[in-house]
Amino acid sequence: MESPLSRDQKLGVFFMLFAFLLIFLWIPLDTDTGFIEKVRRQISIGDALAPTVAAAFLMVGGLGLLLFRAPETGVEEPLDQLAMRFAGLLFAVYFLCFLVMWGVGPLVVWVANGITGDALEYRLLRDTAPWKYLGFATGGTLAVMSSISMLEGRFSWRALFTGLVAVVAMIAIYDLPFDDLLLPPNGDM
Amino acid sequence: MKSMIKAAATAVAIAASASAATAADWTPPGPIKLLVAFRSGGGADTHARLIAEELEARHGWKFIPEEVAGKGGLNMAAALKDAPADGTVIGLGVTEFFGYSMAATPKAGMKPADYTPIITTAGFQMGVVATSGRGWTTIDDAFAAAKAGETLSFGVMSPRLADLAYLLGKANGVDFNIVSLRGGKAVFDAINAGDVDMGFVAGLQTRAVAAGDMVNLASAITKPLNQSPDAPLLLERGLEFDAEGEFLFVAPAGLPEEARAAMADAIEAVITDPNTKAGQMIAKAFGGAVAIKGDALAERVQAEFDTSETLLDAASE
Amino acid sequence: MGTLDYIWMGILSVFQGPELFSIFGLSISVTLIMIAIGFLLGIAVGATPGLAGPIAMAISLPILISIFGFSPDALLPVMGFLIGVMKGATIGGAVPAILFNTPGTPDAYLTTLDGYPMTQKGNARRALRVAHFSSVSGDTFSDIVLIVCAPFLAILVEGYLDLPEKAALLILSLAFIAAAVGGAPAKGLISTGLGLLAAYVGTGEDFYPRLSLGSPALSEGLPLAAVILGVLIVGAVAHELTTYWRERGRQDRQDDPEGRDNQGLSLRLIGRIWPYICRSALVGTVIGALPGIGSTLAATIGYTLGRARHEKRKRKGDPSFGEGAPEGVAATEAANSSVSGANLIPVLSLGIPGNAAAVFLILAAESIGGFTPGPSVFKFSTEQVNPELVIAFGLFTCMFIANFLNWTIGGLIMRAMGIMTRVPKQMLLPVVLLLTLTAIYVQETAMVAVWITLAFGVVGYLMRVYGISPLPFVIAFILGGRLEDTARQAFASTGSDPWFLFNNPIAAVFMALSVLTIIVALRLDRRSQRSAKVSS
Repeated sequence: MESPLSRDQKLGVFFMLFAFLLIFLWIPLDTDTGFIEKVRRQISIGDALAPTVAAAFLMVGGLGLLLFRAPETGVEEPLDQLAMRFAGLLFAVYFLCFLVMWGVGPLVVWVANGITGDALEYRLLRDTAPWKYLGFATGGTLAVMSSISMLEGRFSWRALFTGLVAVVAMIAIYDLPFDDLLLPPNGDM
Repeated sequence: MKSMIKAAATAVAIAASASAATAADWTPPGPIKLLVAFRSGGGADTHARLIAEELEARHGWKFIPEEVAGKGGLNMAAALKDAPADGTVIGLGVTEFFGYSMAATPKAGMKPADYTPIITTAGFQMGVVATSGRGWTTIDDAFAAAKAGETLSFGVMSPRLADLAYLLGKANGVDFNIVSLRGGKAVFDAINAGDVDMGFVAGLQTRAVAAGDMVNLASAITKPLNQSPDAPLLLERGLEFDAEGEFLFVAPAGLPEEARAAMADAIEAVITDPNTKAGQMIAKAFGGAVAIKGDALAERVQAEFDTSETLLDAASE
Repeated sequence: MGTLDYIWMGILSVFQGPELFSIFGLSISVTLIMIAIGFLLGIAVGATPGLAGPIAMAISLPILISIFGFSPDALLPVMGFLIGVMKGATIGGAVPAILFNTPGTPDAYLTTLDGYPMTQKGNARRALRVAHFSSVSGDTFSDIVLIVCAPFLAILVEGYLDLPEKAALLILSLAFIAAAVGGAPAKGLISTGLGLLAAYVGTGEDFYPRLSLGSPALSEGLPLAAVILGVLIVGAVAHELTTYWRERGRQDRQDDPEGRDNQGLSLRLIGRIWPYICRSALVGTVIGALPGIGSTLAATIGYTLGRARHEKRKRKGDPSFGEGAPEGVAATEAANSSVSGANLIPVLSLGIPGNAAAVFLILAAESIGGFTPGPSVFKFSTEQVNPELVIAFGLFTCMFIANFLNWTIGGLIMRAMGIMTRVPKQMLLPVVLLLTLTAIYVQETAMVAVWITLAFGVVGYLMRVYGISPLPFVIAFILGGRLEDTARQAFASTGSDPWFLFNNPIAAVFMALSVLTIIVALRLDRRSQRSAKVSS
């Protein structure tokens, strides 16, 4: 069955709903001062006003889409569900690979401690080669390799090689020449 | 974890004995993250980075500066609070963060005792400033203008200074329109552009005052300003609170005494040395180094917290 | 200190800045080298399909900042580099458009219409020369207008506008950007609203970080670089990659278009295309000076005007527009290139960015500090030196050095960059994505920044899917904080007058124009849709 609303109109309804929730739920619950507040016998603008203005933009925009974007007459191109799913996968790959980046260093240190009996701590080693490269090299190579493989629809050694070269190049750009730069994930361990 | 326990144990042992010899031996167990509570490019940020640079050169310590500005220093304080107290995470802020900001937000649950202040670096030459085009020479001229019916706007850069401006007006029977701006540079620019009539500025005005473009109408600290010794003190104009404050390095509570002493000594040596870039910058921009450390500093911070509660009460009447 | 002293100091600050090396006793300042490197990188990036100037600017910024540090000395080398990239990418974008019929940037699409037919006729080199000549002419003209106008506009603003008027002007700019950017004004409003909302998370006057949902990461506010790069770069790359993935195997690209010709750019040809360049440069400059409406519109108008003139004037036997007319290439390239200089007029005089390149210049200034683009820059103080003004004239100098490079070696390099179009997209873009995320991390040193970048990458991707232009989002995000601060200050300085935006004439006019802009845009949009429906 054909939906009575065009895609743009649905988008408009979505943003009107969002703006509504923003104005009546999120903003009142998550700000401490109202539209205006009285401090030092002077009335001043509170923290809730500006976000409400933002919500008003969304509301007017949503209304504009709903009212002025008349239902299309079949010329609307369908949304490419498959492409969106692919994009979701792509974002997930980068998210996971940065998680790997974050975890590999401490994991290797933990394993190394188990073997050597030392009590090393990754946080204190995060600026010492080769420890500091472990996470970035693993996660970075993995990210580039997997996304190239996804794009080409097959795994190739060229993808792995590209990942490795990219990671080495980035280490050469950011880490080798600069003493005070930290590659991910070493800045906030 | 083990090394932390070890460090804590040595700290207890050392606290009893004299710390001088061990302080000299202390080295940070890893790179030091330096949380700077100010926007990059300003005087506060620049002097912190210069000090860190010099410490790296002198002692081989390694600093990783990170900007954590905003919310009257509470963002930095919150990030610092639960960080490891082994000297690998320190912050740079001003005493006001641990006084007024914390006193004003009991809900945030932060208090000076959650931190170990290390050392101050410089104080503020905080003055009330206007352009010389106004024709005023002291704050009394501004009061007179206001009483003659002119509406005056007063630029401030923090809620504490807004309270001070309000109480100053109240003590002198004047109603200022108090305008909060982001940072000293913004107040300075707003005065220049005529957006506000006067404002608190802490050092940025030096060149403009020397050139005759601006005037220090009054000193907001406990002594006359170095540059304008004739400007009256606000304390003599009915204001019961001063705007004294210093930049300071802090660590989370529980920093081992040897680490605190080592860092304080190292920083003091840098900021009081006129041959370092940091020392020169502090002399030029803030009128010279102010190095308060140890118990004196801890008391100073706690006292500011206590005064701030009185100030908050006074201003909320 | 007179005006001329400031100009001279600005020029000296570029040439006498920190020395990199010296040749025959002549010291070469680091700024000069940075402009040149940026320029070369810009051409290469512009010539690579799927990359564009803003991507290169975004990724190099953290590296540059770490090289040069956070002192005012860093401003000219870093911003000079970015200006070099901006100018290089403008001419680079024409290369794949002419040689392979694949526009490197959206505004180069119109260049393909006549550029590629010229290539098919064996006139590729001539087409590239025409594109280069027109592009550089337009760009130079636009820079001159910028340098003449920006200071005056700034002085006017600072002289006549107080806090309430400044607040109203910001509202007008946002309304204009929302209404004018992208196809649909309603979508522009949504994009603006989302940008403002992002700007207001975790910020505000109160000690409680509003809208932070109790998360400590959000309570510091969203990092500027993470949000901007997320929406502009990560979103664009993801969109590009999905499109590539869907169209795999459908590519039919001609090989080796070079060849038979080597016609140069004769004086006669220059004479023929010159009127088109002049008109388009004027159009591009005027459009560029308005914040938000970018080079694509300028190129369209320039091309349309050019076509109308060409139809009347062309001699028999000359190709029409669309059949490989050099005039068509000239009209497009002059128009889209002359946007870039004029686009900096609102940036430097008002602090309002007009396009993605300007966004990154502001981001650079914000990150380094010591230079706040806006009217206070142009304070010609006489007693003491205003360092920001020296920087501003230094930037102008950088632009002219980049133009000089463009005139002298730009064409040569541009013609050598045909090779960049052979870089395989599916290899390059994943690396670009990793590089962007790494760059963000290096600057912010917190994993949270990477998560925020990815999240806003999703937002940017979805906006592209639904046809919502991300530019109003980014501009609103940058201006949101300032809008709120200025409104607060105006309210306070007028003694809490609730009508502060309406009860003085200038502010009231700005507000009326804001409302009018939105209404007119919505109505125009509706009408154009109706006529589109009738014609379909």
